[in-house]
Amino acid sequence: MKKWLDERLQFSTLIASMFEHPVPKPSSFMDYLGFATFFIFLSQAITGILLATAYIPSATDAWESIKNLEATPVGHFVRSIHSWGANFMIVLVLFHLLRVFYEAAYKKPRELTWLLGVILLIGTIGLSFTGYLLPWDQQGYWASTVGTAMAAYVPLIGEFVVRVMRNGSEVTGATLTRFYSVHMLLLTVLILIAFAPHFFFVLRQGMSATDELTAAKRRGENIETRSMPFWPNVAWRMMLTLLLVGIALWVAATLAPKGLGDPADPLNKNQYIPQPAWYFFGVYQLLKYFPPKLDPLAMVGLPAIAIIVLVGLPWFDRNPSRFPRQRPIALAVATLLVAGMAYLTYQGFRSVPKALVTTTVTQPSYKRDIDPIFQNKCVMCHGNSGNYHLDTYAGVTMKNVIPGNPNDSVLVKKITGVMQPQMPLGQKPLSSGQIQTIKNWIQDGAKNN
Amino acid sequence: MQTKNTTKVPRRRFFKWGVGVISGAMGLGYLGLAGSYLWPPPENTEPLEKVGSVKDFPQGIPTMVSYQGVGVKEGVYVTNLGNGNWLALDFHCTHLNCPVAWSQSSKKYFCPCHGGIYDINGNVLGGPPPHPLPRRVIQQQGDNVMVGGRLT
Repeated sequence: MKKWLDERLQFSTLIASMFEHPVPKPSSFMDYLGFATFFIFLSQAITGILLATAYIPSATDAWESIKNLEATPVGHFVRSIHSWGANFMIVLVLFHLLRVFYEAAYKKPRELTWLLGVILLIGTIGLSFTGYLLPWDQQGYWASTVGTAMAAYVPLIGEFVVRVMRNGSEVTGATLTRFYSVHMLLLTVLILIAFAPHFFFVLRQGMSATDELTAAKRRGENIETRSMPFWPNVAWRMMLTLLLVGIALWVAATLAPKGLGDPADPLNKNQYIPQPAWYFFGVYQLLKYFPPKLDPLAMVGLPAIAIIVLVGLPWFDRNPSRFPRQRPIALAVATLLVAGMAYLTYQGFRSVPKALVTTTVTQPSYKRDIDPIFQNKCVMCHGNSGNYHLDTYAGVTMKNVIPGNPNDSVLVKKITGVMQPQMPLGQKPLSSGQIQTIKNWIQDGAKNN
Repeated sequence: MQTKNTTKVPRRRFFKWGVGVISGAMGLGYLGLAGSYLWPPPENTEPLEKVGSVKDFPQGIPTMVSYQGVGVKEGVYVTNLGNGNWLALDFHCTHLNCPVAWSQSSKKYFCPCHGGIYDINGNVLGGPPPHPLPRRVIQQQGDNVMVGGRLT
């Protein structure tokens, strides 16, 4: 077989160029993240094709078809793998990007590899965004409504862009069909087209970690003591990493199977509060801090700047050094941005609706029982940007709470409707269990426990 | 006898240009096809549709109705302003299209996402919304209240 292929394709040379190059010791598993991302993409492709055999992309049948799928253990498991796989892919691709940045592997001669990587990152986010709507549940419907509405802030053509994305003024069955085709075909093909040269360039140029060895070899130095062959040493470590990633994916899908929310209700009769996917929590939270006049900057300006910086990074960064100590500004700026985004994402996590107490808690804890109620029901108006803050303990107890005296506390009067207008405005009042829990907490001294 | 090529287009250049022009035209053709497929339907062409009778709408209190749009029901707040005057407002906040809800106790519309507030006419009172709530066509025909597409 080998000989047959060799006669036609010079197979040995091809294999040799892929497998027979030295890799510096020690080989870091962080260098395998790109490969791991591709592995997850393959898993997504397989599970996606399986899901497509059962899914019906129409507003009337989509939710029902997923519900039917979930009725079978295998169907439910495949959907869970696909859903978890989307999260894994986002995380892996982000870590891969950070690793490449840290290693300065985007610099000459690997600018094109980086550029294709940025396209793959945008494609991955696009896949997650379009896939979110497909189950046609409340979460997906309203996240897609809000997500597409952000495009309206693009100057001059914003409204038109929104209508193109939605195939109409609102998110309808026509939007679902559009998202389905973009998710299944357009973005998948885009990713494959960008991935092929991305991978080829890595093979052709080698990983940046091998540059020093290659140079030393050219100088005639003996590199055997500080290197190991890609095959079999590194290749097997890579396979092991993929195996661990795969096991983690299956374990996650088994222990936390993907649920299906209520069917999409464009009239929102149950007053569902829209929330984005977790990887958009940072932007979601940022909007709460930005003054309304700067919304276009937050929704269009910053993402546009981020894309321009990412695309142009190899050309903007004129520092030729690859050593972290010689790149203090680049690494400091990146650390600040990553830390800022992580903080915003964490804050976003805190403020999205969570399961609240449904019955009265007799000895409530502020952190466990009270804060989630405020985060769920109040901080949309009384958050960081309002005059009365309910997003921190200090803000809650600054006024309107008299420890030990719930009935005279303005907060209780407002949520019970004794003092009009009743809070939360425009939403269903808090349940009697939630109100009593807040009363109990104030009665106990409104402690920060 | 030697022929001169000065007045005629050489064969190679003819093919080069010919292939280039035809390829370009076909490329534009595919782009045109994609454009016509992806072009969204025209705005504000929704037909008038009955959403209730006059008696269903107490004066001065916005009432949520559903308008059967393309594939989904669309939320519209209808207010009977009295003397045959009506107001229909799309229930999507102009900030990020979250669904607003009317609070009768405070007589305002509230958006649960980022705290947008509107008065009964849909004008912005507070929060981040950049525009008033979009108005929709509304007509009283006899006893029927009819709602249509958005007013531009």
